Amino acid sequence: MRENSSLQYKRFYRTMPIPASLVLLLLFFVPLFFTLSSAFITEEGISFSRVVGVFTDSYTQRIMLFTVFQATISTLASLLVALPGAFLIATYNFRAKRLILALSAIPFVIPSILVVLGFVIFFGNNGFLNRILMTLFNLNEPPLKILYSFPAIILAHTFYNFPIIMSLVSSYWEHMDGHCESASRTLGATKTRTFFSITLPRLLPAIISACSLVFLFCFNSFAIILVLGGGPQFTTMEVEIYRQARMMSNPGAASALSLFSILVTTLLLLWYNASQKNLARSEIYRRDILRSEKRPASFVGRVLALFYTLFSLLFILGPIISVVVRSFMASPSRSASQEFSLRWYRQLLSLESATGHMGSALTALTNSFMIALVVATLTVPVALTLSVAVRRSQRKTSFYELFGMLPMTVSSVIIGLGYYLISSRFRAGLSLHYILVVLAHMVIAIPFVLRTILPEYRKIPLSYMHSSLTLGAGPLRTFLLIELPLLKGSLFTGAIFAFALSMGEFNATLTLANSSIVTLPIVMYRLIGSYNFQGACALGTILIAVSVIVFIVSELAKGGKYGQ
Amino acid sequence: MANEGLSCSLKATYPDFSLQATFSVQAGELACIIGPSGCGKSTSLSLIAGLLPLQEGSLFLNGNDLTQIPVHKRQVAMVFQDYALFPHMTVAQNIAYPLKIRKTKKAKQIERIHHLLSLVSLQGYEKRKSQELSGGERQRIALARALASQPQLLLLDEPLSALDAKLRKHLREEIRRIHDETGITTVYVTHDQEEALAIADRIIVMHEGKVMQQGKGEDIYNNPENLFVATFMGEGTILPYNVIQKTLSTPTPSLPYAYKPKEGKHTIFFRPENVLIKEGQAFSLVEYLPHVQFKQAQVINCEFQGDHYRLLCQWEGHPIICHSTTRPENKEVTLAVRMKSIREYVDGILVP
Repeated sequence: MRENSSLQYKRFYRTMPIPASLVLLLLFFVPLFFTLSSAFITEEGISFSRVVGVFTDSYTQRIMLFTVFQATISTLASLLVALPGAFLIATYNFRAKRLILALSAIPFVIPSILVVLGFVIFFGNNGFLNRILMTLFNLNEPPLKILYSFPAIILAHTFYNFPIIMSLVSSYWEHMDGHCESASRTLGATKTRTFFSITLPRLLPAIISACSLVFLFCFNSFAIILVLGGGPQFTTMEVEIYRQARMMSNPGAASALSLFSILVTTLLLLWYNASQKNLARSEIYRRDILRSEKRPASFVGRVLALFYTLFSLLFILGPIISVVVRSFMASPSRSASQEFSLRWYRQLLSLESATGHMGSALTALTNSFMIALVVATLTVPVALTLSVAVRRSQRKTSFYELFGMLPMTVSSVIIGLGYYLISSRFRAGLSLHYILVVLAHMVIAIPFVLRTILPEYRKIPLSYMHSSLTLGAGPLRTFLLIELPLLKGSLFTGAIFAFALSMGEFNATLTLANSSIVTLPIVMYRLIGSYNFQGACALGTILIAVSVIVFIVSELAKGGKYGQ
Repeated sequence: MANEGLSCSLKATYPDFSLQATFSVQAGELACIIGPSGCGKSTSLSLIAGLLPLQEGSLFLNGNDLTQIPVHKRQVAMVFQDYALFPHMTVAQNIAYPLKIRKTKKAKQIERIHHLLSLVSLQGYEKRKSQELSGGERQRIALARALASQPQLLLLDEPLSALDAKLRKHLREEIRRIHDETGITTVYVTHDQEEALAIADRIIVMHEGKVMQQGKGEDIYNNPENLFVATFMGEGTILPYNVIQKTLSTPTPSLPYAYKPKEGKHTIFFRPENVLIKEGQAFSLVEYLPHVQFKQAQVINCEFQGDHYRLLCQWEGHPIICHSTTRPENKEVTLAVRMKSIREYVDGILVP
């Protein structure tokens, strides 16, 4: 049947997304307009001098080069770590397979500031890994000194991103039929030869697609570089935009720099989109094929699987668990060794007097919670009405879908910059500042919530809606009685996602907010900056709890289909 | 224009295809729209239901103009190919859905649900969810739901295509029975000729957005108005008209056959069951009536079909399909067709 809405209902489905579009327009384009205008408008009027100046400056050129360089190295490192895992998952069926695959979702739901903290706690000079190695080998000096260096950035990016490549490539691999490989073997090629001349080329589209996504993430990485990079030596575009805007009080230069970032991000997204379409079209990928499941036949395979499982558990869970463990530890006096203590939680809940940034922890917690609640409640209706319009569109990729995904083309630091420019233009007071934080979080959350709702919406056959119409229900009633109840689950998931995203949002908040605004990640950042890691861990544990809930919800929400 | 029943003239143009179909269905009739995929039969149903806008043409149901009435006020119920039972509702809630919208009283609703479930012979299924039903059960619940609102017209879009062959036969009997019990005007879309011939009062054959023929099943099968209908509604053999000259045999001169070739592509058509086969012994009866005889036809292929054999023969380079009750012993046979069973076509159109 042709997918087309009836004449009588066009009006209904046309009006529906209008409020949401206006909101998005206001939230996204107004700040962007402020950013762009401050890049081009100087005291002498409209001029390109600022943009040209920034792009010809050797310092910024070095930063651009470094940004691309570190993203490339991080992507390659992630690929290197991910490929063996993808191979094991696609080829064997071992007990921990489900565990690894489930764990690979964690980096998607964990906020970057938490990655930073976990990294410091786990890999730091006084971190868990070093302490274990020191006791194991009776060393006096920590053997790993990687914090605040280039390898630290790469390592953190790898931890954060390799599971993405692993899960994308392995799912493609699992659905590839093995006939070509068998044919190659019967034609006389060895196993290794077959892998390099048959399997790898067939996997290439999936690898390219996953890598471009990871490259994009690393290109726009902020918190990791800001904290772990440790100084101007390892500065990327995002950090430089933040520094120029907030530390050098030079928002004009920051805006000019954003142009480069927006350009690269947009190109990367277009490239990623094209590679996705390429993937969908490739004949290799077939949903109906699932590689014959088998346990590792060889001893080597079993050992490799075990090794890889332990490795990913250590790599993914290690930092997270150390954060939780550290949050429950404190030394009673300066010289005493650490023991179990609830001191940080008592300070967090203001049950015990706290010094320094811990004093604002409770305010930060309530603030973050309230902001996240408002963001979740406001984002879901916007995303829902947009997805109604997308679902009803005749074209494959509708205008509204692209429209809703637009905020992804701009990094969260730049969104923060736009809102910062607005707040400084209007000399915003504290309450307006909080509103701006909410709006910035909404812009960031909308594409994600849309991406949660849309696939579920697309699963509902049009015949359900048509049935309801022929049975006598009008379009509004159909929407309320059929579409809404069927979307309930994904709306809930979307709300949880928006909530978690807002709870952990660091980049935009730091860029836009003045020092009196406190949220959980901001206080964590300040605690890390003042070397109160345990206090940061206590806050981090709360963020972990939120992420775990999101993780469980998203795992539960997977699958499920209507009809036959 | 008949006041009762459905009469429509559907015109719509789409980027890849245009529809121009005029047909009518009398009140209480069960009509089948049949045609190959992409012929516009499902589009026609959507136009009648109001799911697609009618760009031009007219649409009358029991004397009322439907063109300006939105879907949900048309009182036209539709059963979809995938049944579209709402997965978040039980069977009872599904059937109650149109009743609730019409603000039927609670007690009346329960009574109606009970009645409808017994009509489709699924008593006691109220509490079940659609996921717990088999394909055939879903189909019947979808039918019950469509009937719940007592619509003036029932549309069925290939309702049996997702089911296996045995169940299909059973359910088409059921649909016919339910139709006879409710007496509701029904339009049934299918691509299965056997199904259409079996249950329809009236068959509408469509091709490339146009109605090729409409009428009773017997007429459509025995007197196809064009070669498309002839070959779509069952098998047959098409031969050039001039073979009659070579093969005509008029044993009784009192019943002459006038050979009249016409301008254009003049062809003849006959069905396989009208072909008689002779091996050695004489044809019965036919010998005394005007008929064509294909001597020395080669048997190329013989398929056993259970109650008959289907033979593919070749005569002077022309393939001829025929049915036989016995398996031919020789490779060479003589075939005969009575002139009465032969239809003539000029450029694909029946010569009356």
